[in-house]
Amino acid sequence: MKNTIKIERARYNLTQQDLADKVAVSRQTINSIEAGKYVPSTVLALKIAKVFELPVEAVFQLEDLDFE
Amino acid sequence: MNNRSFLTVPLLPTAWKKFAFLFFPLPILLVIGLAFSNPDTEPNEAAQIIYGFWAIGFGILNLTREKVEDEMIQSFRLQAFQTGFFWLIWGLGALMLINYLRFDRLTSEMFTAYLVLFLLNLYIYAAFQVQVYQSKKEN
Repeated sequence: MKNTIKIERARYNLTQQDLADKVAVSRQTINSIEAGKYVPSTVLALKIAKVFELPVEAVFQLEDLDFE
Repeated sequence: MNNRSFLTVPLLPTAWKKFAFLFFPLPILLVIGLAFSNPDTEPNEAAQIIYGFWAIGFGILNLTREKVEDEMIQSFRLQAFQTGFFWLIWGLGALMLINYLRFDRLTSEMFTAYLVLFLLNLYIYAAFQVQVYQSKKEN
């Protein structure tokens, strides 16, 4: 699953730590999500999307690999 | 969302990690002390003391909270318990095979609950730390 967190963070001028604080996780978790190393739960994905005032599918998108 | 139930595992406060690390040098000192006080102590008995203490040490480490206990850490913990158990099965299988090749029997006095608990907790700890390390590596 790919995501646009890095772009949205830049748009809102937020650091990984700022976003982590807003959604109550560690900076490592945000870093891992951005890098595609960790797929967040639905609740966390919704929280992140809410910070950027976007629908969840605008921040997280499925890839072909997810259907295999 | 509230998902607390009797299945929830309560974790120890982070400070317990320091306490857990005491269990690693302690049995070695104890075994050295035992060797001096009772030179007839069997090596297997000494090994069991060490396995027992290390099992407790790794057990406490595995049940201690991280500084930030978020959902990624919880998923690492879950994966670590599954992977640790998987490695234990293969590890014990390998030990039994080595024992069979060397002594022509699958079982041995060394296969005790202390050894199994030590290996299980060691593998869980290792699997957890590998995941934490991989998540901290820069992209």
